[in-house]
Amino acid sequence: MIQEVRVITKEGIPDSKGEEVLYEINHALKIKSVEKVRTARVFRFEGIAEKEAFYLAEKLLAEDVFQLFEINGQVIKDAKVVLEVAYKPGVMNPEAASLMKSARDLGITGLLAADSSWEYGFYGDNITAAEIERIVKSLLVNATVEYVVRKAPETLIIHGSPGPTETIPIRTMNGDELMNLSRDKLFLNLEEMTVIQKYFSEIGRDPTDCEIEIIAQTWSEHCVHKTFKARLIVDGKEKKPLFQRLKEATKKCGNPLVLSAFVDNSGVAEFYDGLAICGKVETHNSPSAIEPYGGAMTGSGGVFRDTVGTGLGAKVVASTDMFCFAPPETSENEIPPGCLHPHYLLRRVVAGVRDYGNRMGIPTNNGSVHFHRDFRAKPTVIVGSYGILPVECSQKGKPRPGDLVFVLGGRTGRDGIHGATFSSGEMTDRTIEVNASAVQIGHPIEEKRMFDAIVAARDENLIRAITDCGAGGFASAVGEMGAETGARIALDRAPLKYPGLSPWEILLSESQERMVLAVSPENAGRIFEICKGYNVEATILGEFTGDGRFTATYESKTVMDLDMKFLHDGLPQRLMKASWKRPVFDEPPVVRTEDWRGLFVSILGHLNVCSKEPIVRLYDHGVQGTNALPPFAGDDGSGPNDCVILTPVLGKPYGMFISHGLNPVLNKIDPYYGSIWAAAEAVSNAVSAGANPKEIFLIDNFIWPFPDEEALGALDLAVDACTDFSLATGMPFISGKDSLSSTYRGKDGTFIKIPPVLCISAFGRIPDVAKTVSTDFKKPGSKIVLVGHRNLSEMAGSVYYDILGHLGNNLPKINPAMLAKVLDAVHKAIISGSVLSCHDISEGGLAAALSEMCFGGGIGAAIEIAGNVNPENFLFNETAGCFLMEMPADSEPEEIFGDTPCTIIGKTDSEQNITAVRSGKLLFKLSLSELKEAWQRPMKEVFR
Amino acid sequence: MARPRVCVIKTDGINCDEETFYAFEKAGALCRMVHVNQLRTGEEKLSSYQILALPGGFSYGDDVHSGKILAVELTSFLKNHLSEFVERGNLVIGICNGFQVLVRTGLLPSKRIGEIKTTLMVNDSGHFECRWVNLLVEPGRCVFTRGMENSVISVQVAHGEGKFYTDPETLREIESGGQVVFRYTGPDNRPTMLYPYNPNGSLNAIAGICDSTGRIMGMMPHPERFVEKTQHPNWRRMPSDVLPHGLPVFKNAVAYFQQT
Repeated sequence: MIQEVRVITKEGIPDSKGEEVLYEINHALKIKSVEKVRTARVFRFEGIAEKEAFYLAEKLLAEDVFQLFEINGQVIKDAKVVLEVAYKPGVMNPEAASLMKSARDLGITGLLAADSSWEYGFYGDNITAAEIERIVKSLLVNATVEYVVRKAPETLIIHGSPGPTETIPIRTMNGDELMNLSRDKLFLNLEEMTVIQKYFSEIGRDPTDCEIEIIAQTWSEHCVHKTFKARLIVDGKEKKPLFQRLKEATKKCGNPLVLSAFVDNSGVAEFYDGLAICGKVETHNSPSAIEPYGGAMTGSGGVFRDTVGTGLGAKVVASTDMFCFAPPETSENEIPPGCLHPHYLLRRVVAGVRDYGNRMGIPTNNGSVHFHRDFRAKPTVIVGSYGILPVECSQKGKPRPGDLVFVLGGRTGRDGIHGATFSSGEMTDRTIEVNASAVQIGHPIEEKRMFDAIVAARDENLIRAITDCGAGGFASAVGEMGAETGARIALDRAPLKYPGLSPWEILLSESQERMVLAVSPENAGRIFEICKGYNVEATILGEFTGDGRFTATYESKTVMDLDMKFLHDGLPQRLMKASWKRPVFDEPPVVRTEDWRGLFVSILGHLNVCSKEPIVRLYDHGVQGTNALPPFAGDDGSGPNDCVILTPVLGKPYGMFISHGLNPVLNKIDPYYGSIWAAAEAVSNAVSAGANPKEIFLIDNFIWPFPDEEALGALDLAVDACTDFSLATGMPFISGKDSLSSTYRGKDGTFIKIPPVLCISAFGRIPDVAKTVSTDFKKPGSKIVLVGHRNLSEMAGSVYYDILGHLGNNLPKINPAMLAKVLDAVHKAIISGSVLSCHDISEGGLAAALSEMCFGGGIGAAIEIAGNVNPENFLFNETAGCFLMEMPADSEPEEIFGDTPCTIIGKTDSEQNITAVRSGKLLFKLSLSELKEAWQRPMKEVFR
Repeated sequence: MARPRVCVIKTDGINCDEETFYAFEKAGALCRMVHVNQLRTGEEKLSSYQILALPGGFSYGDDVHSGKILAVELTSFLKNHLSEFVERGNLVIGICNGFQVLVRTGLLPSKRIGEIKTTLMVNDSGHFECRWVNLLVEPGRCVFTRGMENSVISVQVAHGEGKFYTDPETLREIESGGQVVFRYTGPDNRPTMLYPYNPNGSLNAIAGICDSTGRIMGMMPHPERFVEKTQHPNWRRMPSDVLPHGLPVFKNAVAYFQQT
């Protein structure tokens, strides 16, 4: 018997959730027949009596100050339609564990299971069934994880018994049969399938399902990065593998602060006082495309675990988020079948990042959102994470034979099975249907307490090695850790969320919030004690051996016995062809601007320029108390900064900065210069706040269309750009990731490639945060100085061209060696104290940078544009690596900058306008408040 | 002078513990991070401390109601210890999630454990929000704000459920009893119901309250996030000698024990 408790806000007291749903219905779905929405919580309890449910309702579920409850009865009584939305059985509801705990705390025994859900009541006489269906489909229910409860469940307990371990008769399969086995599940090609077949033929037996699954997972593009390691034939000539090029460039840079590059879960560099900082940036595109909330959450959760799984354990101090979507106003019929609308995706991805980071207490404080219609099938979702750890714990640990395999944290369920292989495949209109199990709901509280326990264990020197359980689950984590030694695990020891998992499911499950530790047996007792103190479940799954094999048992039967060498080195190196040909795009006609006000409003209101403040406000970017340069500051908090500066050790003068750069549309024109631009933008964002160019470390993230010859040619150029940039500036790449599956193939022939995304993240240390600057103008009368090399004819890919409806061909071609000199000069000027504020130039050009400095300062500007330059190009050219600075009225910028190009373009002004004069004549005078309104409006409309 | 001992509570989902610890240490207190489990097992005792600090975060995921699961845990297992602790003249501060816990234990506003008279509801905006706000410090009996009366301080809010709400009678009692400690203010430095200055729609712009003795205080904004100058988003626009606005809250708590 299940007891139901329904709780509702009293009549007359605002129901914020109901109001929000109503707003979305009226505004996003434009359904006007719904006049009011009321919401109620539904709690279900199995194993207790009505009396006990009543007690729980009074003490826990409902608060008399503002709520009413009913036991086994309705609370929304007069609505036209009432419906309940719940997680599907088997999708873990994080609230259930809290209900169980509190019931125990309140002395209620006998409770077997609990669940919670939401009920919605819709008011309005003219609501139609079709409208309700649309509301359910587009707003309330993501069918991947949720459903509308038509009939109350008879039990909350999930029953099941595990299926047998099957043997796959791979040795006798022909090519078609091999590919049938691979399709939708293993995502391997015929050559790879044949290698597997050959291995089992040689050892004289067929593989178990566990074995075939683990090989597919270990060999997936997601885990092994086949393309980046492939032999590459570019336009007929062989070039070094991409990954090798990046690693060699880092080595050549020889930066003495680098402690660990490309070998661990994140890249590590030296900080101060015996501490190190680390950074890792990940993508989570595929899951986010089908279940954006859960997908973004697990993206955040995963990249945090990468940080904690660095060296012998790190503490996470910051998180970043970079997204690419189609414009939120894209019409429904432009969205390909099987894909979700960008308005929904954007809001839900942001909600996922918000709920995971906020609950973990990790400030999300650097990020951006880019829009382009070719992200309408598959968005790009990038999440970064940064940590701090002692230098002596900064090297990747190595398990020794005899060490125990510990798993900490969450339990194992069916979540995310095939996530690794799924992420490696192209998206099709079948993706949502076939791969629903690849997404789950994250549980940040579980992860937070696990992290606390891990840092405590690290501080007691109890950890020999650590890694996170991400893609591929135990298979990947234990397989990688034990690659040199061998490992034996007993799958039946893994704590399960519910019974019924087959051995291969336990092995491959990608349930979140789990980490694997190698622990010397004498430390096991202490690990258990620490974990108990933090309410963290810890289990010994097996041990690291010395036999070089990966063995798994289930109820004493061996279900997997593979040679680690074959597993890790058996994959044939791919030979891939690459060739990129420059496309030719239309050039816009030369237009003489008459309406400057209109043009400024269009530029500032462009999706790639407009303020993203409403998103940042949803993130707890201040938790940990470390912000010395927050994402937004200035007079009324509206001025965007170029990077974030944190003081991860409170009370110390030193800090770390985090910034990034990307501009996918430029990569469509020219992936080489587009990539240089991204790198230049990332490091300019850091230097403009006061970072020292000699202490900047880079992270690359390539999010690319499926690597056909053309896309691979573009990738080859992008990697060359990265290494050229690195060698010219001395800034090393120390971590990176690629995700090469952002192509959509529909049944109807629709074929969409995203614009190639290279996101460069930059981080490093700053000796004294007091010597850093923000972007907001500080006072009227200061000089406004432009610093850096610009070729004003290079306008292709700019927002200005986009507004004219064209892409163009002549994009900014930044010279990294010349940029390095500019960065040095800017850095020297800032630490000498002669800069009051500084902002680098990016999308929207000088005009956008200047406007933002005015918005933040609440101060106007008067500039002069030389008669011999085209004013549109002067204002809207987007060459990265150029800076606008505010310098004191009595300063001498030319003296300070010497041979670095610098121009005094005007001065700050107490009037609330931006004015420009050209050849002695007023070109325009624009009101700040009007410009600001245009700049803030787009995201305010998406995020109420 | 002896440094008062602070018990900084930690449990699943609390995440402002380190900065709260830091703020109290900077103010001169001696802090210890204490997990609720240690109080439950008796490994740690509240009676060893003079100040109980409930930091911000999402205790137990803020499931059911924000702070509720922790409040139920404290009132189920530590009711007597808590009562004794406050009756002995000690101090209790709850920040953000800690404030939510305090109202859900009944310690605020009436110091009667189990009697929930006020609540913190979902923000009027319907979502979590992180921004800097200004607070007017009300004159009254609160120990934590002595000497700050009638000043306006700048602090950060970061919450999704911070709308202070109660019935008219309780509101009258709180107002007339001098139990309102902080109110959100607008650009004119006067209490406001206007968003975003009042970020959640709190009744009477109330951002923090204390009990009738002034020794138990809860507030939604985070004073522990402004105890160093560079923590303010606009420290570059401030005079160089500006004192962090949140620090006096913690110094007052320390001074309370050093004076008496």
